[in-house]
Amino acid sequence: MDGLKFVGKRIPKKDAPLKATGEAIYIQDLKVPGMLYGKILYSKYPHAKILKLDISKASALPGVKAVITGGDVPNNFKFGFLKDNPPLKSGKVLSTRDEIAAVAAVSQEIAEEAIDLIDVEYEELPGIFDPIEAMKEGAALVHEEFPSNVLKMPWKFVHGDVEAAKKESAFIAEDTFSTQWVTHCCLGTSGCVASFDVGNTLTMYSNTQIPSLAQGDFLEALKAFGLKNKRVRIIQTVIGGGFGSKLDTYAYEYIAILLALKTRRPVKIVFSREEEFLATSPRQPTITKISQGCDKDGKLTFREMAMVLDNGAYTSWGATTPSVMMVPISSLYKVPNIKYTAKCVYTNNTYSQAFRGYGNPQATFAIESCLDQLAEKAGIDPVEIRRINANESGEVTPQNFRITSCGMKDCIEEVVKRLDWKNKCKRGNGKGVGMASLIHVGGAARVYKSDGCGTIIKVDDNGKVDVITGASEIGQGSDTIIAQIVAEVLGIPMDDINVINNDTDVCPWDVGAHASRTTFVAGNSALGAAQKIKAQIMEIAAKNLGEPVDALDMQDGIIFSKNDKEKSIPLGKVLRKAHYSLGGRMLVAEHFYDPPNENFDQTFRGNLSVSYAYGAHGVEVEVDRETGQVKILNYIAAHDVGKAINPMLLEGQIYGGGLQGIGYALGERMIYDKGYLKNGNFLDYKMPTVRDVPPVQAVIVESDEQAGPFGAKGIGEPGLVPTAPAIANAIYDAVGVRIKDLPITPEKILRALKEKEGQKA
Amino acid sequence: MGSFEYLRPASISEAIALMEGSGGRGVYIAGGTDVMVLIRQKKIFPGCLISLRNIGDLAYLNTASGLAIGSAVTHNAIAKNEFIQKKYTALTDATNKVGSLQIRNVATMGGNICNAAPSADTACPLLVLDAQAVIAGKDGDRKVPIDDFFLGPNKVALKPGEILKGFAMPAFNGRTGSAYIKHTRRQAMDLPMLGVAARITIRIDGDEIGCKDALCTIDNISNILRRFEDEKLVCEDIRIAMGVVAPRPMRAKKAEEALKGKVISEALFEEIGEIAASECQPRDSIRGEAWYRRDMVKVLTRRAILRAVDRVIRPDDMIWPERLW
Ligand SMILES: Cc1cc2nc3c(=O)[nH]c(=O)nc-3n(C[C@H](O)[C@H](O)[C@H](O)COP(=O)(O)OP(=O)(O)OC[C@H]3O[C@@H](n4cnc5c(N)ncnc54)[C@H](O)[C@@H]3O)c2cc1C
Repeated sequence: MDGLKFVGKRIPKKDAPLKATGEAIYIQDLKVPGMLYGKILYSKYPHAKILKLDISKASALPGVKAVITGGDVPNNFKFGFLKDNPPLKSGKVLSTRDEIAAVAAVSQEIAEEAIDLIDVEYEELPGIFDPIEAMKEGAALVHEEFPSNVLKMPWKFVHGDVEAAKKESAFIAEDTFSTQWVTHCCLGTSGCVASFDVGNTLTMYSNTQIPSLAQGDFLEALKAFGLKNKRVRIIQTVIGGGFGSKLDTYAYEYIAILLALKTRRPVKIVFSREEEFLATSPRQPTITKISQGCDKDGKLTFREMAMVLDNGAYTSWGATTPSVMMVPISSLYKVPNIKYTAKCVYTNNTYSQAFRGYGNPQATFAIESCLDQLAEKAGIDPVEIRRINANESGEVTPQNFRITSCGMKDCIEEVVKRLDWKNKCKRGNGKGVGMASLIHVGGAARVYKSDGCGTIIKVDDNGKVDVITGASEIGQGSDTIIAQIVAEVLGIPMDDINVINNDTDVCPWDVGAHASRTTFVAGNSALGAAQKIKAQIMEIAAKNLGEPVDALDMQDGIIFSKNDKEKSIPLGKVLRKAHYSLGGRMLVAEHFYDPPNENFDQTFRGNLSVSYAYGAHGVEVEVDRETGQVKILNYIAAHDVGKAINPMLLEGQIYGGGLQGIGYALGERMIYDKGYLKNGNFLDYKMPTVRDVPPVQAVIVESDEQAGPFGAKGIGEPGLVPTAPAIANAIYDAVGVRIKDLPITPEKILRALKEKEGQKA
Repeated sequence: MGSFEYLRPASISEAIALMEGSGGRGVYIAGGTDVMVLIRQKKIFPGCLISLRNIGDLAYLNTASGLAIGSAVTHNAIAKNEFIQKKYTALTDATNKVGSLQIRNVATMGGNICNAAPSADTACPLLVLDAQAVIAGKDGDRKVPIDDFFLGPNKVALKPGEILKGFAMPAFNGRTGSAYIKHTRRQAMDLPMLGVAARITIRIDGDEIGCKDALCTIDNISNILRRFEDEKLVCEDIRIAMGVVAPRPMRAKKAEEALKGKVISEALFEEIGEIAASECQPRDSIRGEAWYRRDMVKVLTRRAILRAVDRVIRPDDMIWPERLW
């Protein structure tokens, strides 16, 4: 036994009762005194000149307090990663999600009515919707102020000599793979309430997953709006899912700020489901040319990939996903020679953002599908080629990732065993098995200058503990994990721990809920703070009990001497003694944990993460040859997680990720037709339902990562990374057709089967 | 969402009177699962909603002769009915798969038919079960064969003010089975990409039809049918209906004709599927491509007939668990 009382236990989420009873306050529920309701008018066309924009009727509607248009945005303010996105567009629209006017009114209904009264005349312009077209010489420019539709981004990684390796390879497989737009489908749609006080301090009630960065973004906006040296306070409501969708600030937030400024009243904007589909930023489509080679024994010799990403009309984090894509491209399996380039291309489509996995699923789909193609060419079993090339602890990868702990081989073996691979593969009866592995950052990711998180712990006179953390609880369970860690260090019950996490006026800095980093970074931060506060407590207790500090321990809120169990004192008593005495003190500790990882250098080398997460998924499918429908019979998801702080929450991440991955693989796609979203609703966007959940075994492989809190690594994203290629590989095993563009619909399978039949005939 | 009056008449005649008095701005509402969506999408702007939920005369379910179902009976009530499960199984298949349990608990078959979406799940079963629509108007009731009730997408043969009272289906002999197959991209909360229903009555000269040995309970229907080959099962009567492959749910009449009176076999069903596919006019849409839908008519017609045959040969709940789903 490891002697742990809280860490490693299946403890239910702290916020579960609140959510189950409906008591949790989401942004949808929030009402602020005097609040107005904002609503946004979006462009009718994907590319058009605005000839006329008449707001007079809307302004005259009783109950309407403000109507704003592009002209009301001061100083030509623009936001986003490349600052190419004005919160309200004037003159020209570049996509159907372009915001062109907004209203604040005393009720949601009036705001909606006012929007319908805004009179717009457009002159439609031809649009560019295909990134390949947009890259061509002489293509019309989406942004006339830029010289090319290709974004100026440096995405290129080269290691070794791919050309030489090609010549020496015994087998080479090459192909082109493509992926689609998918969106996060958070149950809690995006929203905010913007509110100024008399001194122009902005309070944003928000469901952002990046409170500290959003604070910076809004401060910058205030400056542009003429409010210098003001303060911004972000208060997070309970968040109904993030998955990356709330990792950037959006136009609606700046619009709410502008409306609040104009009306001097709090303004709430909450997205309808249709808006959530239209106006939040999805995972971007990719077109990937890949070639991989191996020697006669199946050892990988090189990997070459060239990718084109549809950036959409504006730039958010979508354009930076090639950085994280490089993780699997350079380091999934041992590959000595690598060449990777990526181009992000402006189009008149929706612009893309972060989504769980941050590019990794797109890259892994190509790599792992192609690896099976290579295995077939080389006459090697798909499992065997993965065994031969698997990553290992102690490895330094081409990008200079220092692999400290690696459970990849164990994950592969779990899949092989549980899927009964030997007996289930190559049956030729419409059933088949497939697998795919993954690597992801598992110990944070230094994509900003800081990758840190702060924690403050304060203990009151009664022995109750407040943990004030920078970490955002977006449904993943960070509060519970943090409380478990603190409870473990201090030796006090979970119920005595309160986690405060939602107010930038109170909480320390954190870079945000991204990169599967919260358990690792916020956990380490909480661990450090807990150790510091424990030292303070023990020091006081030692004086009280007349025992040396190292003889003391604490359990269930009682401090006792390990030498003499009689000598004990309740935590609360120690604290009161410390507090109610002359020159009394209070007990507060703070700890800022910034992991010892590295930013990439100019060549994209650097130890991005302190540790790396591994996993392998295996799937058994049955394909209906007549209808092309795929049924998942069995799904194994084995993950190297370092150490499971809470196996129940961890399995939740794996189940959820796996199912999101299954949706990505088999059904979900945003259908954009010449810039128009055709299926912005849950009827036609085929997110799997509970009835579609196959039997999933979440297998936890522990590799004990020394740098992680109690040995833990991140697991937030990995669950959906290898899902699509595992399924594609299984379909190939079942019926011999390889589908190279996601999602794998029945139509694509049936068409491929027919083609195959035709070839035979 | 605009505002509207909500009226709750207690009888059919009161409802019709309210509709007359609404000056053309009234809309009947049963479960509301289509009406409310249309209102929220700003596709209709009713001045008043006239609820049909408190009218007992629309909520009957009568099995004295054939089957009579009131228009306000919910999908779930139909799905759970054991008599329907045994004798009108295609309806069970369909009502079981409408939306989700929450939808099935409030949505009605009458609403499904009056809304007349090309994808309405209960349309094909009603077509193959020879249902008549019973219509109540100012001047009394009239009956219309369901095939004549559908006029086009969202268009039915109701005159202004008329209420669909319910459905009347004849009794079928014990050598009859029916099935409906809904082809979807996911297992719940989905409209059909296409749907196919079939009803078949089988004749075998001088003998009872039925599986006599234990193997029958575990083997698949294709194999069982093969074992019946010498006994020459004849298709005495057949109905085939297809949804989402034309502007309205339609019968595959040529396919029916080609099967009627013939000795049945899976190979023949294959041909029947081809004929049905040639009769439909599917379109490309975001929900499915035309070629695929046509292909699936072929496959699902065969499968639906086969399943209906199965239900004649093996009328035992144990062997078709999908009916219990
Ligand atoms: C989430 C969701 C999922 C769904 N899934 C499916 C599905 O899988 N398959 C499917 O087929 N449908 C589906 N639907 C559509 C809908 O639920 C069905 O069509 C349902 O049967 C409609 O019945 P209702 O009682 O709710 O009709 P209502 O909405 O009350 O009425 C529908 C129409 O019929 C009229 N009407 C109703 N009753 C009468 C009557 N007695 N006389 C005259 N006119 C009448 C109304 O005026 C209205 O025009 C779904 C809907 C939702 C919201």
